[in-house]
Amino acid sequence: MAEQFDKHILKNGMVLLGEPMDAVGSVAFGFMLPAGAAVLDEGSCGAGNVITDWIFRGAGDKNSRQLSDALDGLGLHRASSVVSSHITIGAALEAGNLAEAIDLYADIILRASLEEDQFELARHLAVDSVLALDDDPRQNVMLKLREQFYPSPLGRSTVGDIDELKTLTAQKTREIIKDKFNLSQTIFTVAGKYDFEAVCQQVESLFETEQSKELPVVTIGSKAGKYRHLDNDGAQVHIGLMTSTVGPADDDYYNARVAISVLSGGMSARLFTEVREKRGLCYAIGARYHGLKEAAGIACYAGTTPEKAQETLDVITAEFNRLGEGISEEEIKRAKIGLTSSLILQSESSSSRAGAIGSDYYILGRVRSLDEIKNKIEQTTVDSVLAFLRNNKFEDFTVVTIGPKEITVK
Amino acid sequence: MEFKKKILENGLSLIGEVNKSAKSAAVGFFVKTGSRDETKQINGVSHFLEHMLFKGTDKLSAFEVNEAFDKTGAQFNAFTSEENTVFYAAVLPEYLNEVTGLWIELMRPSLRDDDFNIEKNVIKEEIAMYKDLPTFDVMDKCRSLHFDGHPCSNSVLGTEESIDNLTAEQMRGYFANRYAPNNLVLACAGNFNWEQICSTAENGCGKWQQQTVERKLEHCLGSRKEKRDEKANLAREHICLMSAGVPAQDKRRFAASLLGVIVGDDVGSRFFWELVDKALAESATMQFGAMDGTGAFYSYIRCSSENMPKVLDTVRSIFQNLSENGITEDETRTAKNKILSALVIKNELPMGRLIDLGVNWTYLNEYRTVEDDIKAIKAVTTDDIHSLIEEFNPGDFTQFSLGPAK
Repeated sequence: MAEQFDKHILKNGMVLLGEPMDAVGSVAFGFMLPAGAAVLDEGSCGAGNVITDWIFRGAGDKNSRQLSDALDGLGLHRASSVVSSHITIGAALEAGNLAEAIDLYADIILRASLEEDQFELARHLAVDSVLALDDDPRQNVMLKLREQFYPSPLGRSTVGDIDELKTLTAQKTREIIKDKFNLSQTIFTVAGKYDFEAVCQQVESLFETEQSKELPVVTIGSKAGKYRHLDNDGAQVHIGLMTSTVGPADDDYYNARVAISVLSGGMSARLFTEVREKRGLCYAIGARYHGLKEAAGIACYAGTTPEKAQETLDVITAEFNRLGEGISEEEIKRAKIGLTSSLILQSESSSSRAGAIGSDYYILGRVRSLDEIKNKIEQTTVDSVLAFLRNNKFEDFTVVTIGPKEITVK
Repeated sequence: MEFKKKILENGLSLIGEVNKSAKSAAVGFFVKTGSRDETKQINGVSHFLEHMLFKGTDKLSAFEVNEAFDKTGAQFNAFTSEENTVFYAAVLPEYLNEVTGLWIELMRPSLRDDDFNIEKNVIKEEIAMYKDLPTFDVMDKCRSLHFDGHPCSNSVLGTEESIDNLTAEQMRGYFANRYAPNNLVLACAGNFNWEQICSTAENGCGKWQQQTVERKLEHCLGSRKEKRDEKANLAREHICLMSAGVPAQDKRRFAASLLGVIVGDDVGSRFFWELVDKALAESATMQFGAMDGTGAFYSYIRCSSENMPKVLDTVRSIFQNLSENGITEDETRTAKNKILSALVIKNELPMGRLIDLGVNWTYLNEYRTVEDDIKAIKAVTTDDIHSLIEEFNPGDFTQFSLGPAK
C-alpha cells in the first residue's frame, strides 16, 4: 500500500510536511532552517556549530537551566545538525508530548535569549570541537575531503574553522540568526504518530509571519587541488577519496546509486572483496553517495597502515575504473535488493523518515514515496547502469590523506 | 506481541517475539563468550573468531557467504565484547528464514589456515585503527586498569603481539568449546513465522553436541588506580573513569542506569552543567554498563590539557556532593523520562528489540517485555538510587588519561 504524506504551506511560505506511521508510538520532528555552512558569509565558518548550542542557552521566559529541564522533562532526545544547506534542529519523543515540544522549539528558534556571556561559552565549545578533530582522523579526513572536493563554499566545514571562530562575535552571530532563520525558506517535518491538523494549527499560530522574498544566495567558486595530505604521526594513513557523480534530481540518479552499490553496497561488493577480503589491506573500507542540491559525489574511506597505503589507493581507483568494463546480472540483482531493503528498514524509524521527507522536498521540491523509489531501483538493468558509467566516466579523483605517510595520486 | 521459546535437547535456546505489524524482522545468535573467557596466550581470539565465522564452511567460501547475505538485502554484522559475541541481521520478513539458515551454517565454520592468515592482517589493521581513535583507546586501557587481575581486564582486540602468536589450532580449540549449543541463544524479533524458524533451527542445530562450558564469575570492585599515557600526536586530553556497579542479574540495574543519566547524560546532567555548559570540557558523559556477575560506571571526558586539573577537581566535587547530599526527586523524574523514551524508540525497530531480547535471555534466562522494563524503571525511587551511591561510591574510581606530552 502506498503511504500518504501530509503537506501544508503557511502564508509566509514555510512548508509543513508529515508522514504518519501506524506502527509506532513515537514521533520525530525537525525544523530545517536555511542557515547551513555554505550559505554563511565568508569569515564565519563554524557559526552554525555555535548557533546550535547558543540558542538552547535560554529562550522565551526560560533561562538556560529552565529550558533544558523543560526539554528533558518531556523525555525528548535532541538532534541538531549542521549541513551544507541547513541547520536542522529537532527531536524524537513519545507522541503525547509533541505539542509541548513544538512550543519550546518556537521559543528556541524565534525568541532565543542570545546573551553575551553564553555566547562565549558556546563559541569556546565550538573551538574545542574543531581542535578535537585532530584526535579523530577518520572523521577529519572526510570533512577535509568534502572541503577539497566541492567547489567553494559548498564543502565548507560544518564543524568550523579555528581562526574564523576565534574572531566570531556575538553581534555577528545574532545577525546570522536574524537573517538566516528565514521562515519563508524553512521546512518543518514530522513523522510517526501525530495529528496533522493539530500540528498545522499550532505551527501556524507560532510561526506565521510576513513573507520574506529573500533567497539564500550562494556564489559558487573554484575547486581546490586534487590531493591534500595532513601529516599526523598516527598508526594508520586515513584515505578519503571522492569523485563526481549525478545529483539526486538527475534521470540517471538510480543508475548511479545501483553502480555505487555494486562497488560498495554489501560485503560481496567489489571494494570490500578486493581490498579487504582478497588482500587484507584494510579493516574499514567503503564508498557511499553524497549528494547536495548543487553537486554530488561518491565518497570513499579507507584506513590502513603506512606501508599498505599506496597499494590500497591503487586498488580502490582500479576498482572505480573497472566498474564500467562490465557488471554481472547477479551483481546488479544484489545491489538492487540491498538498496530496496535498506530503504524499507529505515522507513520503520520515525527520525529517519522525518529527515528523509525534508531532504527530498528541499532537493526535489516534492517527497518521493517508497514505492516510487522501489520502482525506479527495479527499473535499472545491467545495460542502463553500464550506459550510465560509459557516459559518466570517473576521471577525476580528489584525495585527502591524514597520517604518517604521503601517497602518490595518479 | 507474542513470545515464543523452545529449548532443544542439546541446550540451544530458541526465542522469538513476533510482531506482525513490523515491516522487517531481525535474527541473531548470541554467543556467551568474549575476551573474559580467554587466557593471556590466546587474547583476542573471541574477536578474531567472530571475523572467521564469515570466512565460510566446508560448503561455502568467504565470498559465497557474503554473496548469500547480500542476495537477501540483509543488513548484517557482528560484534564482540568482554563477554558476548553477537551475530545479527535485519531483513525484510520474506528473507528471515533464509538468513537464519545461513547463520546456522556459519555457526559451524571451517576455520581454514589460509583464511586465518589473511584475516590476521585485517585484525591488525583494526587494532591500528583503534590506536588512532583515542576516544576508544582510552576506554579500553581504563577497562584493563580497572579490572586489574579480573578476567574482564582482557582486551577485546588483543595486541599485535598476541594476534601474531595466535595459531589457527588454538582458535579451533577455543571454538569447539565456546560455541557449544548450550552456550548459544538464537533469537528473532519482528514479523516472522515462528514454526518455520523453529524447524530450520531444529534441522540445522539439532545434531550439535552439548559441552561443559564454564565462565569464572567474580564481582570486581576495581583497582582504583590512576595512570596516564602520552602520545605526541594528540591534541586533547581523553579521560576515562571507571567505578564498580551492580551485575546484569541484579534488579538494581535500573537504578544504576538512572544514576548514570543523572550524573552523565550528554545534556542536562550534573556533568553537563558543571563541565560542558561552562565550557571546561567539550564532552563529559557517564553511563552504567551491566555485565555478567559484575558491573561498572564508565565516564568519558575530553578537554584541553590546560583545563584538566580543574576538570578533575570539578569531577571530584560532583561525586562528593552526590555522596553528601544525594539527588533530587526532580532529577529522578527527568532521568526516568529520558530512559523511558529512549527505550520505547529503540524497541520500535525489530533490530533494537532483538538486542534487548537476546541480552535478557543471555543474562537472566528470562523473557522481558518492553512493558516489564518500563514498569521496573518507573518503580525505582530516589532512595533506591541513594542506596546505590552509598554502596558503590562512584567517586571512588579508576582513572586513565591519554593526552599530549606535557
